[in-house]
Amino acid sequence: MNNIWGDMSQYDGITWHWVIAVYLFMAGLSAGSLLMGIGLRWYRGQTQGGGQSRAESAVLKAAALIAPIAICLGMLCLVFDLTKPFHFWLILINYNLSSVMSIGVIALLAYIPLTFAYALVVFRDELPKCGLGFLAGLADSLGKLRGMLEGALFVLSLVVGAYTGFLISAMNAYPMLNTAVLPALFLVSGLSAGAAANSLLAVLMFGGDKHTGEPSGDLERQHAFELPVMGMEMLFLFMLFTALYFKGGAAAAALASLSDGLWASVFWIGVVAIGFGVPLLMRLSGKHGRSVMVTAACASLIGVLALRHFILYAGQSYLS
Amino acid sequence: MSKRYVMVHDENKCIGCQACSVACRSINQVPDGVSRLQVRIEGPFGEAPHLHFKYNRVSCQQCEDAPCVKVCPTGAAYVGDDGIVSIKADKCVGCMYCVAACPYKVRFMNPLTRVADKCNFCKETRLARGEQPACVTVCPTDALCFGDAADPGSEVSKLLATKVSYQDKTHLGTKPRLYRIPAKRGGI
Repeated sequence: MNNIWGDMSQYDGITWHWVIAVYLFMAGLSAGSLLMGIGLRWYRGQTQGGGQSRAESAVLKAAALIAPIAICLGMLCLVFDLTKPFHFWLILINYNLSSVMSIGVIALLAYIPLTFAYALVVFRDELPKCGLGFLAGLADSLGKLRGMLEGALFVLSLVVGAYTGFLISAMNAYPMLNTAVLPALFLVSGLSAGAAANSLLAVLMFGGDKHTGEPSGDLERQHAFELPVMGMEMLFLFMLFTALYFKGGAAAAALASLSDGLWASVFWIGVVAIGFGVPLLMRLSGKHGRSVMVTAACASLIGVLALRHFILYAGQSYLS
Repeated sequence: MSKRYVMVHDENKCIGCQACSVACRSINQVPDGVSRLQVRIEGPFGEAPHLHFKYNRVSCQQCEDAPCVKVCPTGAAYVGDDGIVSIKADKCVGCMYCVAACPYKVRFMNPLTRVADKCNFCKETRLARGEQPACVTVCPTDALCFGDAADPGSEVSKLLATKVSYQDKTHLGTKPRLYRIPAKRGGI
């Protein structure tokens, strides 16, 4: 029948597209990377008693570099996805505390400058080499507040990492997104992406190498965390689907996203085969060369990016 | 909030003539390709020769517990003193959180203003002049009834008190203020 009631295109499912998936990935990556970097530094300080040594570990350098860059790229995605990008400042002066997005804006307003401050502290000795010597004074004074800076960033990273999940789980219109496990899933998958990106940069840029042995030992310790983090990620995914199955009705219908269409392929190939399969196979093979680490890290990153796309698109495809 | 504006769509009386959506488009200057109001003719249902259609009004449900208002980061989506869920255009940045959050999928981005848009019971146009919303006035079969449900003497109160009605997706707890009177098959 000819639909005399007009154009239906505005009612077509997906409101938030891949740009938002990339933003969610970048924010998770930034937070996860810092959580790993700072967490490992604290852990090293405890076990070796001398965490305040001058030399920064390759993993921490990677984290300090990734955190501000990833979050800024994410913010660019977010701002240019607005229908009025040049009015983004409106969101900075108007707050609605019942909105998860508004709370996220507050968290990010504190988080973003602190990631830059922390990068200055970590790269204090490299600043003159990059022609940023004039910032050394600032880095020194920030360095005196390092403990506070790390504490604040650790908490804010937890908030930012979980916030990306809360942002989309707040909508009760979508049964697959409106679950309590989503923020936890996003936080651990952000950790997984952060660890992978830290390894990648530590190995490629900052001379951390499994064979030669990075002096701090952070790379090995981070590597040891990867398996439990991946296990948690799988567990949370399993919990998400189980919750949908037992809720029944529209929620159970959303399980079709695992067997039907493009997003099923993205899940099974991108998330499961590449994201979980490749790093696990690399680990089982027992090899720890540079190329193996790089491959496993890239696979993890692709997996987490695929997960964000799957959740966002499949989630929006099923209405309660 | 002393007033509680509601709308009742009588699916017995509706004939799917689309006069309401044309009137809405005209009074609210809704651009082509998007709509604040659609009456979808769904069906046919049943076995021939007893076929029937359902006339499904798709427009803002004016939720008392509106998801769009809760998620809007700037407060652009708000509940007015009259209880009507509306949008402050100058506060909207177009994040589309409200569009995503609406369980009824009746919010859209206006391609001209790039601001979230939807039915507001003609709040700024006809209601401001003390008139009924355009769709109600123009309906040839009087299938629509609009008014203050907080006033027991109002026409809508009497209608809701005497007829069976239902609301869409009440399981989500949004408490929609668009009531529907289901069609009775086999004679009125």
